[in-house]
Amino acid sequence: MSRSVWKGPFVDSYVLKKAEKSRESGRNEVIKIWSRRSTILPQFVGLTFGVYNGQKHITVAVSEDMIGQKFGEYAPTRTYYGHAADKKAKRK
Amino acid sequence: MSPTRVCVGAISGAFGVRGEVRLKSFCATPEDIAAYGPLFSEDGTASYTVKLTAQVKNGFAAEIEGITSKEAADALRGLRLYADRDRMPALSDDEYYHADLIGIEVRDTGGTLLGHVKAVQDYGAGDMLEVTPAAGGATILLPFTHEAVPTVDIGAGRIVADPPEGLFG
Repeated sequence: MSRSVWKGPFVDSYVLKKAEKSRESGRNEVIKIWSRRSTILPQFVGLTFGVYNGQKHITVAVSEDMIGQKFGEYAPTRTYYGHAADKKAKRK
Repeated sequence: MSPTRVCVGAISGAFGVRGEVRLKSFCATPEDIAAYGPLFSEDGTASYTVKLTAQVKNGFAAEIEGITSKEAADALRGLRLYADRDRMPALSDDEYYHADLIGIEVRDTGGTLLGHVKAVQDYGAGDMLEVTPAAGGATILLPFTHEAVPTVDIGAGRIVADPPEGLFG
């Protein structure tokens, strides 16, 4: 069953405070968070979070199309190193 | 600075009794492995012309020129196949092969060595460079964006990074 709309999206309060503080300072910094369960809100777009995966903080640069997802979705807890072969990376 | 040969697949054993092999492809589009031929062994002493004949579980069935018996095909089990880097198509601006990025050094805007690229990861938030810090310790994920990585010079084997504060300690 999905979450009731009247409750609004869930976000740990410390994440909101840290994001607001970072935005006010205007500095380009990694906001370290442990809350994988928090929802990504529109006011987080443009900020860079370090989301804990149980071992280290995974850098997540929040963009518009991530709104509504949870932070944990972008910080997998298991790592797989495949072969590079002809795989490509695009600089955004 | 980019590698001259890139591992694109491996032979996992014989397929059938007529000298075909079971081939694992590591390419982004698995069928492309045949287009990069001829393929080479790791030391480059032997070359193989590969023709895909069928898709099978976990790979392809393939014919290799000069291999006509099951015994000869079995002898190739475990062989890693390498393709010439030059055979891969040229990419558009701001697109890079993982193979070119892995191993190159990462320096900050002041020229200080930050580390070397260990891998390129994409966890859904865009490509990220996994950097082994020069000072040691756990790897660091650097977003592969124009803001964080303003310069990529594959020829010189160097990336200039402007990482967010706190990322490299």
